Amino acid sequence: MKTRKILSIALAAIMAAASVVSVSAAQLTETDPSGQTEVKARIDGAVPGDVSYIITIPDMVDFGTLAIPENDTDTHDKDVTYDVTLTKLESLDPTEKVINVYVKDQNAKVGDNEQFYIANKSNADIKFSYDVYSATGESINLSTNLNNRNMTTNGFFLTGFSEQGQSLTGTLRFNLNQLYGQSLAEIAGEYSGYMVFFSAIENIQ
Amino acid sequence: MKKPNKRKKTLIIVVAALVLIAAATVGILLFRDKPKPKKTSDSQGVVGVVTDDWDTGIDEKDKPKQSGTQIPGYSSAQMKAGDTTLKINIGNPKENKVGMFATVKLDDGTVLYESPLLKPGQGITEIPLSKTLEKGTYNAFVEYKCVMLNEKNTPLNAAESGFKLIVE
Repeated sequence: MKTRKILSIALAAIMAAASVVSVSAAQLTETDPSGQTEVKARIDGAVPGDVSYIITIPDMVDFGTLAIPENDTDTHDKDVTYDVTLTKLESLDPTEKVINVYVKDQNAKVGDNEQFYIANKSNADIKFSYDVYSATGESINLSTNLNNRNMTTNGFFLTGFSEQGQSLTGTLRFNLNQLYGQSLAEIAGEYSGYMVFFSAIENIQ
Repeated sequence: MKKPNKRKKTLIIVVAALVLIAAATVGILLFRDKPKPKKTSDSQGVVGVVTDDWDTGIDEKDKPKQSGTQIPGYSSAQMKAGDTTLKINIGNPKENKVGMFATVKLDDGTVLYESPLLKPGQGITEIPLSKTLEKGTYNAFVEYKCVMLNEKNTPLNAAESGFKLIVE
Protein backbone atom coordinates (compact mmCIF):
# COMPACT_ATOMS: atom_id res chain seq x y z
CA MET A 1 0.00 0.00 0.00
CA LYS A 2 2.79 2.29 0.97
CA THR A 3 4.61 1.54 -2.26
CA ARG A 4 1.52 2.25 -4.35
CA LYS A 5 0.96 5.52 -2.50
CA ILE A 6 4.51 6.73 -3.15
CA LEU A 7 4.29 5.68 -6.80
CA SER A 8 0.99 7.55 -7.19
CA ILE A 9 2.46 10.72 -5.70
CA ALA A 10 5.51 10.48 -7.98
CA LEU A 11 3.34 9.98 -11.09
CA ALA A 12 1.08 12.87 -10.09
CA ALA A 13 4.12 15.12 -9.70
CA ILE A 14 5.41 14.16 -13.14
CA MET A 15 2.02 14.85 -14.75
CA ALA A 16 1.83 18.22 -13.05
CA ALA A 17 5.31 19.11 -14.31
CA ALA A 18 4.35 18.04 -17.84
CA SER A 19 1.25 20.26 -17.86
CA VAL A 20 3.29 23.30 -16.79
CA VAL A 21 5.80 22.60 -19.57
CA SER A 22 2.97 22.55 -22.15
CA VAL A 23 1.91 26.05 -21.19
CA SER A 24 5.50 27.28 -21.26
CA ALA A 25 6.06 25.69 -24.63
CA ALA A 26 2.97 27.42 -26.01
CA GLN A 27 4.18 30.78 -24.74
CA LEU A 28 7.60 30.24 -26.24
CA THR A 29 6.04 29.43 -29.60
CA GLU A 30 4.13 32.70 -29.60
CA THR A 31 7.19 34.85 -29.14
CA ASP A 32 9.72 32.71 -30.92
CA PRO A 33 11.34 34.68 -33.78
CA SER A 34 10.60 31.81 -36.13
CA GLY A 35 6.94 31.72 -35.11
CA GLN A 36 4.13 32.78 -37.38
CA THR A 37 2.98 35.60 -35.11
CA GLU A 38 6.40 37.21 -35.17
CA VAL A 39 6.72 36.98 -38.95
CA LYS A 40 3.26 38.46 -39.42
CA ALA A 41 4.13 41.32 -37.09
CA ARG A 42 7.25 42.06 -39.05
CA ILE A 43 5.31 42.27 -42.31
CA ASP A 44 2.97 45.00 -41.11
CA GLY A 45 5.85 46.82 -39.44
CA ALA A 46 3.63 48.23 -36.74
CA VAL A 47 5.10 46.32 -33.84
CA PRO A 48 6.81 48.67 -31.37
CA GLY A 49 10.57 48.32 -31.55
CA ASP A 50 10.59 46.94 -35.09
CA VAL A 51 12.34 48.72 -37.94
CA SER A 52 9.66 50.74 -39.75
CA TYR A 53 11.76 52.27 -42.49
CA ILE A 54 15.30 52.64 -43.77
CA ILE A 55 16.81 55.83 -45.10
CA THR A 56 20.10 56.04 -46.93
CA ILE A 57 22.37 58.96 -46.16
CA PRO A 58 25.75 59.93 -47.62
CA ASP A 59 28.45 58.35 -45.48
CA MET A 60 30.85 61.10 -46.50
CA VAL A 61 30.93 64.13 -48.75
CA ASP A 62 34.29 65.09 -50.20
CA PHE A 63 35.00 68.62 -51.43
CA GLY A 64 38.36 67.42 -52.77
CA THR A 65 41.15 69.97 -53.09
CA LEU A 66 40.19 73.52 -52.19
CA ALA A 67 42.37 76.12 -53.92
CA ILE A 68 42.74 79.76 -52.89
CA PRO A 69 41.13 81.89 -55.64
CA GLU A 70 42.93 84.71 -57.44
CA ASN A 71 40.37 87.27 -56.29
CA ASP A 72 37.30 87.53 -54.15
CA THR A 73 35.33 89.74 -56.48
CA ASP A 74 34.15 86.93 -58.75
CA THR A 75 32.10 84.00 -57.57
CA HIS A 76 34.20 80.95 -56.77
CA ASP A 77 32.03 78.13 -55.55
CA LYS A 78 32.83 74.47 -55.26
CA ASP A 79 29.76 72.26 -55.35
CA VAL A 80 29.31 68.61 -54.53
CA THR A 81 26.01 66.78 -54.51
CA TYR A 82 24.57 64.36 -51.97
CA ASP A 83 21.57 62.01 -51.92
CA VAL A 84 19.11 61.05 -49.22
CA THR A 85 16.68 58.24 -50.05
CA LEU A 86 13.80 56.47 -48.37
CA THR A 87 15.16 53.06 -49.25
CA LYS A 88 12.51 50.96 -47.55
CA LEU A 89 9.19 51.70 -45.93
CA GLU A 90 6.76 49.50 -44.06
CA SER A 91 3.16 50.58 -43.64
CA LEU A 92 2.58 54.33 -43.39
CA ASP A 93 -0.64 56.22 -44.02
CA PRO A 94 0.55 58.98 -46.40
CA THR A 95 -2.56 61.06 -45.70
CA GLU A 96 -1.67 61.36 -42.02
CA LYS A 97 2.00 60.57 -41.54
CA VAL A 98 5.27 61.49 -43.19
CA ILE A 99 8.91 60.66 -42.57
CA ASN A 100 10.59 64.00 -42.08
CA VAL A 101 14.34 64.34 -42.50
CA TYR A 102 16.41 67.09 -40.90
CA VAL A 103 20.11 67.81 -41.04
CA LYS A 104 22.58 69.80 -38.97
CA ASP A 105 26.28 70.17 -38.35
CA GLN A 106 27.67 67.91 -35.63
CA ASN A 107 28.40 70.91 -33.41
CA ALA A 108 25.37 73.04 -34.27
CA LYS A 109 23.26 74.48 -31.49
CA VAL A 110 19.93 76.24 -31.90
CA GLY A 111 20.31 79.99 -31.65
CA ASP A 112 24.04 79.76 -31.11
CA ASN A 113 26.01 78.43 -34.02
CA GLU A 114 23.84 76.87 -36.66
CA GLN A 115 26.33 76.93 -39.53
CA PHE A 116 27.89 73.91 -41.25
CA TYR A 117 31.68 73.77 -40.99
CA ILE A 118 34.71 71.81 -42.02
CA ALA A 119 37.65 72.15 -39.63
CA ASN A 120 41.37 71.59 -40.00
CA LYS A 121 42.20 68.15 -38.64
CA SER A 122 45.39 69.45 -37.03
CA ASN A 123 43.92 72.65 -35.64
CA ALA A 124 40.15 72.68 -35.15
CA ASP A 125 40.20 76.45 -34.60
CA ILE A 126 40.81 76.86 -38.32
CA LYS A 127 37.46 76.19 -39.89
CA PHE A 128 35.44 77.30 -42.89
CA SER A 129 31.72 77.27 -43.44
CA TYR A 130 29.76 75.71 -46.26
CA ASP A 131 26.13 75.93 -47.28
CA VAL A 132 23.68 73.08 -47.67
CA TYR A 133 20.97 73.25 -50.31
CA SER A 134 18.02 70.95 -50.81
CA ALA A 135 18.37 71.26 -54.58
CA THR A 136 20.89 71.19 -57.41
CA GLY A 137 21.87 73.29 -60.45
CA GLU A 138 19.56 76.19 -61.31
CA SER A 139 17.35 75.46 -58.31
CA ILE A 140 20.09 76.56 -55.95
CA ASN A 141 18.85 79.80 -54.44
CA LEU A 142 17.99 81.38 -51.11
CA SER A 143 14.81 79.35 -50.70
CA THR A 144 16.67 76.05 -51.06
CA ASN A 145 19.49 77.13 -48.74
CA LEU A 146 18.81 75.32 -45.48
CA ASN A 147 20.45 78.05 -43.43
CA ASN A 148 17.61 80.35 -44.44
CA ARG A 149 15.20 78.06 -42.61
CA ASN A 150 14.59 77.90 -38.88
CA MET A 151 16.72 75.35 -37.15
CA THR A 152 15.17 73.07 -34.51
CA THR A 153 17.01 70.77 -32.12
CA ASN A 154 16.67 68.11 -34.82
CA GLY A 155 18.32 70.33 -37.42
CA PHE A 156 17.16 72.14 -40.54
CA PHE A 157 14.16 70.59 -42.27
CA LEU A 158 15.42 68.88 -45.41
CA THR A 159 12.53 66.90 -46.88
CA GLY A 160 9.54 64.68 -46.17
CA PHE A 161 9.16 61.16 -47.55
CA SER A 162 5.95 59.16 -47.77
CA GLU A 163 6.71 56.57 -50.45
CA GLN A 164 9.44 54.02 -50.73
CA GLY A 165 12.09 55.01 -53.26
CA GLN A 166 11.61 58.76 -52.87
CA SER A 167 14.91 60.56 -53.00
CA LEU A 168 16.35 64.03 -52.60
CA THR A 169 19.50 65.23 -54.30
CA GLY A 170 21.00 68.32 -52.73
CA THR A 171 24.17 70.35 -52.95
CA LEU A 172 26.91 71.31 -50.55
CA ARG A 173 28.50 74.58 -51.63
CA PHE A 174 31.88 75.79 -50.44
CA ASN A 175 32.54 79.46 -51.17
CA LEU A 176 36.24 79.55 -52.04
CA ASN A 177 36.33 83.32 -51.60
CA GLN A 178 36.57 82.81 -47.84
CA LEU A 179 40.08 81.43 -48.47
CA TYR A 180 41.17 84.56 -50.33
CA GLY A 181 43.89 86.50 -48.47
CA GLN A 182 44.62 83.61 -46.11
CA SER A 183 48.16 82.31 -45.63
CA LEU A 184 48.44 78.95 -47.30
CA ALA A 185 51.13 77.97 -44.79
CA GLU A 186 48.63 78.47 -41.99
CA ILE A 187 45.53 76.93 -43.48
CA ALA A 188 47.00 74.08 -45.53
CA GLY A 189 46.00 70.61 -44.44
CA GLU A 190 43.11 68.18 -44.32
CA TYR A 191 39.66 69.34 -43.33
CA SER A 192 36.63 67.41 -42.19
CA GLY A 193 33.19 67.95 -40.77
CA TYR A 194 30.23 65.74 -40.05
CA MET A 195 26.58 66.12 -40.84
CA VAL A 196 23.92 64.59 -38.61
CA PHE A 197 20.72 63.45 -40.34
CA PHE A 198 17.66 63.15 -38.11
CA SER A 199 14.55 61.29 -39.27
CA ALA A 200 11.23 60.60 -37.60
CA ILE A 201 7.66 59.65 -38.46
CA GLU A 202 5.59 62.78 -37.86
CA ASN A 203 2.02 63.91 -38.38
CA ILE A 204 1.29 65.90 -41.52
CA GLN A 205 0.50 69.44 -40.47
CA MET B 1 12.88 -11.13 6.35
CA LYS B 2 14.78 -9.58 3.47
CA LYS B 3 11.69 -9.07 1.28
CA PRO B 4 10.61 -5.61 2.63
CA ASN B 5 14.17 -4.26 2.15
CA LYS B 6 14.28 -5.47 -1.45
CA ARG B 7 10.86 -3.89 -2.14
CA LYS B 8 12.02 -0.63 -0.61
CA LYS B 9 15.16 -0.65 -2.78
CA THR B 10 13.10 -1.27 -5.91
CA LEU B 11 10.76 1.51 -4.95
CA ILE B 12 13.62 4.00 -4.54
CA ILE B 13 15.06 3.03 -7.92
CA VAL B 14 11.67 3.43 -9.63
CA VAL B 15 11.01 6.83 -8.04
CA ALA B 16 14.53 8.03 -8.86
CA ALA B 17 14.12 6.91 -12.47
CA LEU B 18 10.76 8.68 -12.76
CA VAL B 19 12.17 11.91 -11.31
CA LEU B 20 15.11 11.70 -13.71
CA ILE B 21 12.80 11.19 -16.69
CA ALA B 22 10.66 14.14 -15.57
CA ALA B 23 13.68 16.42 -15.20
CA ALA B 24 15.02 15.42 -18.62
CA THR B 25 11.60 16.03 -20.21
CA VAL B 26 11.37 19.49 -18.67
CA GLY B 27 14.90 20.34 -19.82
CA ILE B 28 14.35 19.20 -23.39
CA LEU B 29 11.00 20.99 -23.77
CA LEU B 30 12.34 24.25 -22.36
CA PHE B 31 15.54 24.46 -24.33
CA ARG B 32 15.07 22.57 -27.59
CA ASP B 33 13.86 25.56 -29.71
CA LYS B 34 15.39 28.43 -27.79
CA PRO B 35 17.45 30.64 -30.17
CA LYS B 36 21.14 30.67 -29.36
CA PRO B 37 22.58 34.13 -30.16
CA LYS B 38 26.22 34.04 -31.13
CA LYS B 39 28.46 36.46 -29.25
CA THR B 40 30.67 38.52 -31.52
CA SER B 41 34.27 39.23 -30.78
CA ASP B 42 33.41 42.93 -30.37
CA SER B 43 30.71 42.59 -27.76
CA GLN B 44 33.13 41.53 -24.99
CA GLY B 45 30.26 41.28 -22.57
CA VAL B 46 29.83 45.04 -22.58
CA VAL B 47 26.14 45.15 -23.24
CA GLY B 48 23.46 42.59 -24.02
CA VAL B 49 24.02 40.04 -26.72
CA VAL B 50 24.95 41.27 -30.15
CA THR B 51 24.23 38.80 -32.91
CA ASP B 52 26.08 38.32 -36.17
CA ASP B 53 23.01 37.48 -38.20
CA TRP B 54 20.95 40.61 -37.45
CA ASP B 55 18.62 41.86 -40.10
CA THR B 56 16.20 44.74 -40.27
CA GLY B 57 13.15 42.48 -40.28
CA ILE B 58 12.01 44.22 -43.45
CA ASP B 59 11.52 42.30 -46.67
CA GLU B 60 14.69 43.18 -48.56
CA LYS B 61 14.21 41.35 -51.84
CA ASP B 62 13.13 44.48 -53.73
CA LYS B 63 15.41 46.87 -51.91
CA PRO B 64 17.62 48.62 -54.46
CA LYS B 65 21.39 48.63 -53.91
CA GLN B 66 22.63 52.16 -53.32
CA SER B 67 25.74 53.97 -52.32
CA GLY B 68 25.64 55.61 -48.92
CA THR B 69 24.78 54.24 -45.54
CA GLN B 70 21.47 52.66 -44.61
CA ILE B 71 19.94 53.80 -41.33
CA PRO B 72 17.07 51.94 -39.62
CA GLY B 73 14.11 54.06 -38.48
CA TYR B 74 11.37 53.36 -35.94
CA SER B 75 7.88 54.51 -35.12
CA SER B 76 7.72 53.52 -31.46
CA ALA B 77 8.98 51.21 -28.76
CA GLN B 78 7.11 49.96 -25.73
CA MET B 79 7.96 48.76 -22.23
CA LYS B 80 6.56 48.61 -18.72
CA ALA B 81 7.49 51.02 -15.93
CA GLY B 82 10.44 49.60 -14.04
CA ASP B 83 11.58 47.32 -16.89
CA THR B 84 15.34 46.99 -17.14
CA THR B 85 15.32 45.98 -20.81
CA LEU B 86 13.68 47.30 -23.97
CA LYS B 87 12.80 45.38 -27.11
CA ILE B 88 14.04 47.42 -30.07
CA ASN B 89 15.68 46.17 -33.24
CA ILE B 90 18.98 48.04 -33.38
CA GLY B 91 21.70 47.15 -35.84
CA ASN B 92 23.86 47.80 -38.84
CA PRO B 93 22.20 46.63 -42.09
CA LYS B 94 24.34 44.08 -43.86
CA GLU B 95 24.45 46.14 -47.07
CA ASN B 96 26.52 48.82 -45.35
CA LYS B 97 30.27 49.15 -45.75
CA VAL B 98 30.76 51.09 -42.52
CA GLY B 99 30.72 50.37 -38.80
CA MET B 100 28.23 51.88 -36.37
CA PHE B 101 28.01 52.78 -32.71
CA ALA B 102 24.36 52.92 -31.66
CA THR B 103 23.19 54.89 -28.66
CA VAL B 104 19.61 55.07 -27.39
CA LYS B 105 18.82 58.44 -25.83
CA LEU B 106 15.91 60.45 -24.56
CA ASP B 107 15.58 63.95 -26.02
CA ASP B 108 16.76 65.42 -22.70
CA GLY B 109 20.11 63.74 -23.31
CA THR B 110 19.64 60.77 -20.96
CA VAL B 111 21.61 57.83 -22.34
CA LEU B 112 19.72 54.56 -21.99
CA TYR B 113 22.04 52.27 -23.91
CA GLU B 114 25.35 52.33 -25.81
CA SER B 115 26.33 49.56 -28.17
CA PRO B 116 29.78 48.27 -28.96
CA LEU B 117 30.99 48.63 -32.56
CA LEU B 118 28.42 47.04 -34.85
CA LYS B 119 29.84 45.74 -38.09
CA PRO B 120 27.53 45.24 -41.10
CA GLY B 121 25.03 42.51 -40.26
CA GLN B 122 25.43 42.85 -36.51
CA GLY B 123 22.69 44.02 -34.19
CA ILE B 124 20.68 43.50 -31.05
CA THR B 125 16.96 43.04 -30.50
CA GLU B 126 16.66 43.62 -26.77
CA ILE B 127 18.79 46.17 -24.96
CA PRO B 128 19.63 46.48 -21.27
CA LEU B 129 18.74 49.94 -19.95
CA SER B 130 21.00 52.13 -17.85
CA LYS B 131 17.98 53.29 -15.87
CA THR B 132 14.34 52.45 -15.39
CA LEU B 133 11.60 54.83 -16.52
CA GLU B 134 8.29 55.90 -15.04
CA LYS B 135 4.98 55.72 -16.90
CA GLY B 136 4.66 58.16 -19.76
CA THR B 137 5.48 58.81 -23.40
CA TYR B 138 9.01 59.96 -24.09
CA ASN B 139 10.65 61.41 -27.18
CA ALA B 140 13.62 59.14 -27.79
CA PHE B 141 16.03 58.40 -30.60
CA VAL B 142 18.68 55.95 -31.69
CA GLU B 143 21.88 57.76 -32.56
CA TYR B 144 23.87 55.91 -35.22
CA LYS B 145 27.46 57.14 -35.32
CA CYS B 146 28.97 55.80 -38.52
CA VAL B 147 32.68 55.04 -38.70
CA MET B 148 35.10 53.61 -41.19
CA LEU B 149 36.12 50.04 -40.53
CA ASN B 150 39.76 50.92 -40.02
CA GLU B 151 41.98 50.91 -36.94
CA LYS B 152 41.02 54.44 -35.96
CA ASN B 153 37.30 54.00 -36.66
CA THR B 154 37.42 57.33 -38.51
CA PRO B 155 34.07 59.12 -38.02
CA LEU B 156 31.68 59.55 -40.93
CA ASN B 157 28.33 61.32 -41.13
CA ALA B 158 25.88 60.36 -38.39
CA ALA B 159 22.14 59.82 -38.14
CA GLU B 160 19.45 59.89 -35.49
CA SER B 161 16.19 57.96 -35.74
CA GLY B 162 13.48 59.48 -33.58
CA PHE B 163 10.66 57.43 -32.04
CA LYS B 164 8.08 57.50 -29.26
CA LEU B 165 9.03 55.45 -26.22
CA ILE B 166 5.82 54.40 -24.51
CA VAL B 167 6.18 53.31 -20.89
CA GLU B 168 3.03 51.70 -19.51
